Amino acid sequence: MENIAFQGLIGLSLAMYLWLISAGLTIIFGVLGIVNFAHGSLFMVGAYLAYTFYGQMGLPFALAILLSLLGTGLLGFVMERGFLSRIYGLDEAYQLLLTFGFILILDDAVKIIWGGVFKIPPIPDFLDGAWPVFGRSFPVYNAFVIAVGLVVAVVLWALFEKTWWGRIVRATAADREMASAIGINVPRVFSGVFVVGSMLAALGGAIGTPVRVAAPGIGAAMIIQAFIITVIGGLGNLKGAFVSSLIVGILSAYGTLFFPVFELFFIFVIMAVVLLIRPQGLFTR
Amino acid sequence: MKNKFAALSIVFPLIVFLLAAGPAQAQCQLGVPAIKVGVQGAASGPHADYGRQIEMGATMAMEEINAAGGIRGCKIEIKFMDDENKAATGVKNARLLVTDWGAHFMVGTDSSGVAMALGPVLAELKRIHFFTHAATHRLTEDLVAVKGIKEIVRVSVPVYQDAIIAALIFKDRKDIKRWANIGADYEYGYVSWNLFKETLRKYRPDVEFVGEAWAPFLTLDFSPHISAVMAQKPDAIFATPWAGEAVQLLRQSLGQGVFDNVQVWWQAMGGSVDVLEGITAEVQKDRFKGKLWATARYIHNWPDTADNKAFIERFRKRWKRFPNYSAETTYSAFFIMKAAVEKSGSLDTAKVLEGLKGMQIRNPGGVRVFRSEDQQFVYNVPAGRPMMDAKYPIPVLGDLKVFAAKDYYRHPPFTPVSVTK
Repeated sequence: MENIAFQGLIGLSLAMYLWLISAGLTIIFGVLGIVNFAHGSLFMVGAYLAYTFYGQMGLPFALAILLSLLGTGLLGFVMERGFLSRIYGLDEAYQLLLTFGFILILDDAVKIIWGGVFKIPPIPDFLDGAWPVFGRSFPVYNAFVIAVGLVVAVVLWALFEKTWWGRIVRATAADREMASAIGINVPRVFSGVFVVGSMLAALGGAIGTPVRVAAPGIGAAMIIQAFIITVIGGLGNLKGAFVSSLIVGILSAYGTLFFPVFELFFIFVIMAVVLLIRPQGLFTR
Repeated sequence: MKNKFAALSIVFPLIVFLLAAGPAQAQCQLGVPAIKVGVQGAASGPHADYGRQIEMGATMAMEEINAAGGIRGCKIEIKFMDDENKAATGVKNARLLVTDWGAHFMVGTDSSGVAMALGPVLAELKRIHFFTHAATHRLTEDLVAVKGIKEIVRVSVPVYQDAIIAALIFKDRKDIKRWANIGADYEYGYVSWNLFKETLRKYRPDVEFVGEAWAPFLTLDFSPHISAVMAQKPDAIFATPWAGEAVQLLRQSLGQGVFDNVQVWWQAMGGSVDVLEGITAEVQKDRFKGKLWATARYIHNWPDTADNKAFIERFRKRWKRFPNYSAETTYSAFFIMKAAVEKSGSLDTAKVLEGLKGMQIRNPGGVRVFRSEDQQFVYNVPAGRPMMDAKYPIPVLGDLKVFAAKDYYRHPPFTPVSVTK
């Protein structure tokens, strides 16, 4: 029983990484209508920047994360204003081509800048170690990731539900022409949302740097799971992304414990079942 | 006067060109402008450093061979291509290298999946491929020994190193009765675990295999895998994720206090330079408590020979890094190819294969002996525990356990090994 509870807790920390990356993806889709294939690449850039600021320059870990968020946010701004904004009126195939192009460019860019060898800096001292939980050792770092994920959930909820900016964003998402007609600067809202989404991806990459790796191609590993989560939760639905992250993260962990041979199928089975029963996703009306 | 200068400006470079190019053309005794060698490896994705190491080993071998006069007077040219660790890309590259670029030989390949897809294509292309990393036993045991694809030659030691040597080391540890596996979720991981179990059972029928977890390529978080196998209270862990994934796995296992609860952790390819670099801080602090064991297909601190030391020195001078095993095996493959071509006096595949027969060659990694039945070069690499050594800036494997190759290589005729989970 203790092992089952412990595995659930491990699954919760896995879910929080998934939540951070899928939150940004679903926000961008919900407001801009863009399926951003390069979202995983922004996750990767966040990880590399955190490595540079923390692992190479020796800045405090929190400051390094903040700077990596700002750097990736800036990259997101350039991507949206410089490229994506030019194809909003075109067929969706152009979005896919353009964002896929960014995957290739950013993968090669990190290889040129940081080289092919994976990067993994030391764990900050205050996050090293373990706490006794259910008779086992639970890593402090995993507890930190759970805390960050929950804080981000609350902050995003407050941002979209309780602030003026959140109302503007929701209005724009509901009807961009009407929003424009009543004086909302829609391009600016789009840029702001894309930057926030990019920063969420970067946060997922940055906080994992000391225990995961920054390496070319890690974005591709994350983007598939992030898409599955947004499909299960309902494209563009933030609450859905949170709940489906929990479902996928925790069930994946249990899959590893109980069905190690079939664990990989687990996440796809969940998606298939949801698509059969509720093709629009669990939380989309 | 002006015309005289104009005439000289044409004639002088022409003379220089003839002096430079003429004799080299005349010296090549194999009737080709250059010997072209196509090189492949994973140069993108998380394992990109292995492809880079293949490229570095190939480049250095080419430079050294050319500086010493080439092969029978012929210079070598190489062309490196990224196989992206994908079978389809590897096959496409091979076809391009041979049919478009005109490769006489091919060298490299990291992934077992890529290697197995390449095998039948090599027979069609009629070009020898010297494999320098791909580890599945099936490449040589099935495709060469059974199916007779003679274009496959393997220079690097296969999964025997990952699995059988581990069983030989730990068979005498009576305190270890419960083994669990955190495996790479593809053929390499399955075969390693199956071979390990099969070998260990012969010596220790009392041992139990109590748990397994499988991590696919590009796993970023091993926490669920570690937690799942530790729930079975194993005495020892057998782990096959490699490169950056090995570093993550080891670091994440420290967070769950694994090294307080197990007696041994076998990290099969943990002796690779990139892994040793990645765990330097942990080894310096002795966080693995002497329980971590590893090997590789070559380790830079063994054998303790002048050849190896000189190779390391040249490699570090050229690339500012230590060579990992894919660099040494690729470098050595070029000298094996050179010896075979010089002996046969031909670039013809059948004649070069004849030239390989009976070959014993001294490489940085030691003496390699060609085994005709499966076209596998046989040499031995020890296993040991990562530890700091004042002579090196990164950990090296110490407390080395050295086994003769005949004691841990499988021998023809080969018995089947399960290649599934």
